Formats: sequence, C-alpha cells, structure tokens
Amino acid sequence: MDKIIIHAQNLQLSYKKGEPIIKKSNLTIKKNEFVFVTGKSGSGKSTLIRSLYGELPVEKGSLTVCGIPLNNIKPQKLNILRKHIGVIFQDYKLIKEWTVEKNVMLPLMIAGYSKNVCTMQAHKLLKHVKLLHKADKYPLELSGGEQQRIAIARALAHNPILILADEPTGNLDEYSSEVIWDLLKGAHHHLGTTIVIVTHKIPSTLGINYKHYFLDGGIINEVS
Amino acid sequence: MKSLKNHISVIIPLFILLFSFQFVIIMDRVVENYQYKLFNDYSIVITSVGEINKERLKDAIPQIKSIEPISPNNILKEFKGNFSPANLAYLKSSLPKFYNVKLNIPPDKGELNEIKEKIKEIPNVSKVETFEKSYTKIYNLLLLVKKLSEVFATLIFIISVLLIFKQMEIWTLQHQERMYIMGLFGSPFWMKSAVLYKLVFTDSLISAITVSLIYYFLPKNASFQEEMRSLGIDFNFFKPIDDTSILILLSIVITIISVTIVILKQKTEIK
Repeated sequence: MDKIIIHAQNLQLSYKKGEPIIKKSNLTIKKNEFVFVTGKSGSGKSTLIRSLYGELPVEKGSLTVCGIPLNNIKPQKLNILRKHIGVIFQDYKLIKEWTVEKNVMLPLMIAGYSKNVCTMQAHKLLKHVKLLHKADKYPLELSGGEQQRIAIARALAHNPILILADEPTGNLDEYSSEVIWDLLKGAHHHLGTTIVIVTHKIPSTLGINYKHYFLDGGIINEVS
Repeated sequence: MKSLKNHISVIIPLFILLFSFQFVIIMDRVVENYQYKLFNDYSIVITSVGEINKERLKDAIPQIKSIEPISPNNILKEFKGNFSPANLAYLKSSLPKFYNVKLNIPPDKGELNEIKEKIKEIPNVSKVETFEKSYTKIYNLLLLVKKLSEVFATLIFIISVLLIFKQMEIWTLQHQERMYIMGLFGSPFWMKSAVLYKLVFTDSLISAITVSLIYYFLPKNASFQEEMRSLGIDFNFFKPIDDTSILILLSIVITIISVTIVILKQKTEIK
C-alpha cells in the first residue's frame, strides 16, 4: 500500500468564524504523486495550501501531513513538519538581504548542517537550476524567472518529502514558466518528491501523469 | 546610514538609562561616605562625679552605641614632676570621671542637644560637652539630591525602556519578512531572532562601555577634582571593574527582555 502524505477528512478552513472557505472536504495524496489543485480566483486554493504547511489552523475535521496531525499543532512540532516540506510561492519569498547562495542554504542551515555541506549542496542545486554564476547576487538583482528558480532550488535543498507550490508560474512569462515546470517534473521524477501545485491553469504540454483536484464552492472535487 | 540611525535609536536611551542608574549608585556611595564621616567626626564627652551606670544610660538613650571611659593619665602626666606619687594618686581619685559617647545614628544639631539634655538628667553627670563638625547641612543636601536622583532615574528608566521598546518594534518589523520566511522552513525561535539578539547585544555593550568610560575619566579632570574636594568627597566613587560589569549586565538584561517581549508579541504574525 502506498504511503499517504496528505490526508484530510471533513476539513473545514476559514479566516472568519462561520464563513468557511473550504467546507467538509476530503483529500488523500499519496507518496510520489504529482497533484494539481485548480479553481477559480477566491475558490480557496491558497487557503488550502496555507493549511497544508500549518500557517492556517484547521477549524473542523482532521488534517495530517507527512504523518503529523495539524489539528492544534504545537510550534515545535510544526517546525519539525516544515523541515520535511519545501514551499514555493508566486512572489518567491526570497530573503532580499541575503545572497542567492545563502537563500538556497536556508533549509540546510535550519536542519543543522555544517557550513561546508550547506555550501556544497547549494552550489549543486544552483548548478541544477543553471544559476551557479549568480550565487553571490542578491534576489532583487535577478529576473522573476530566475528568482523562482532560486526558490525551487531552496525548496529542494533539504530533500523534502513534499513540495507545496502556490501559483509558481503566476508571475512568469511562458518561457520562464516552462523552465519551472521542467524543474518540478525533474524533482518528482528523479527524487520521488510528492508535489502539490495550486494553479489556475494546468500547462498543456506537461507530459506526465498527474492527479487533478478542482475546488468549487469550498468543496475539493477529484477530477482525474 | 539607516543602520547607524537604528543603532543610535537604541544606544542613546540605553546610555541615558545607564548613566542615570550609575549616578544613583554614586550618590548612594557619596551619602554613605558622608554618613561615615558624620559618625566619626563628632564626640560627646560626659563629666561625672562618680561612676556612671552604662546600662542605665543606654536604656535612657537608645541612640547610644558605646560609652568608653577616658583615662585621666594624660592630664596627670603634666603634674608628674611637681607632685609626689602619693599626691598624684590622691589627685587621680578626686578627679571627675570622663566618658566618650558614640551614637548609632549620625546626629543633627537638634538631636545632639536632645541627647545632651537626656544625659544631664542621669545621676552623677555634672557636665556634657558636644563637639561636631558642620557636615550635616551638606549631608542633608546630599540626601535630597539622592532622593531626587532616584526619582529622576525612575522616570528616565520608564521613558528609556519605552523608547527601546519602540525601536525593538521597528527592528522586528524590519526583520519580520525574513523571520516569516525562515519560519516557513521550520526555523526555531532562537534562529529566527538571532540577528535581533546580536544587534541588541552590540548596542548594550557600546552603551555600557561608553557610560563606564565617562565615569572613569570624569574624576580625573582637574576642575572636577577641585569641586569634589570642596564638597569633601575625597574617595574614588567609581569602581571600574565592578561597575562596568554591572552596567553591561543591566543593559544586556534590559535589551534582551525588551526584544524578547516584542518578538513574542508579534509571534502570531511571524510564525
């Protein structure tokens, strides 16, 4: 039996009590799956992903990610969970005061690796995303596409079990978007990472098997 | 430039706070030194026709710390050549008894007179003489300055801590995004906040050492020394190692508590 990475049962999420964004939804994502969650603007895609990395508390129902229940999770336990997850955002969320190299090193520093190991791994990943020559630059000196490639390198740095991406190509042109999809496909194919992507549109030329959920009226529906 | 401004915004209130704290400590030492002088630079001499019951005297005047008899030998020494030993022995036995009295409080003029009157009421006491130097006025002035400096130091403490808090909030907001991103990857509290703690630690050291240097070099100034001498302050009121250590410790404790409170207050936003 395949290992379950995300399991939600009767999940209800809301920002304001009595006004749920996600209502009594069920979701099961298994290891090594490539998952898309689509939906209209304001359908709760980002809300769902925020709850998966523990930023938004579970209002009702249950949610387990990487075997850790997220209901009333303690900060220490949440930190443990986050060490197994890589997150990618539409606005990249890179630390602008840090160099590209240091940004990629972040998850490794948190995991407690030595500086040498962090540097070696960061260089390996920067080479993989073809940005090793920009290791000493700062994020704001890079283009949007390059910043997102750095964000992917950072998300992969600590070999996470799960990558959560919130509109990773939302701000990018077609060429840069293709590069990002290729990197995510590569991580899924070569490292066996489970990938959950929230997007408003699935690329037509993806070329891999994926699972598709559609969010409508606060309910998560499995499409394929 | 912005970073320098940020540092100065913490260093200045912290410097003022530590400066006033050290001033209170010094005032306390000066008053203590004066108190010591007052205890030692006065005397009460009792002349009595017979032995005085010391316990009775102490019961009547609780402020008395000790009563010591004064030997008449010094007076009799003058007559050694002129009188025979028998006459000297007779003279000694017929001389009145002298006692030196010490008190356990530094008395002002009024208290001294009151004590004098009480002693006179004790049987056998024929005369009471008091000798005092005029330290009391300066002492009372110093007590007033000490009290005022404590009030000012308290006000300065409150204002400085509020200013430090304000600056900590600005720092936390400046670092909020970085702390939030670090939190997304499971960074523990101490790691997210390490930069802020490093900043406050540096500023604490700068402030404490600057205050120490001022208090260390100020007494070495010739005109300052002259002023101190005229007030009768002739001791080194700043202890470089002890005081600097206390100032460093105090500034670190204040800033670390402030930054921790501010971070914890914003914890929900930066989780």
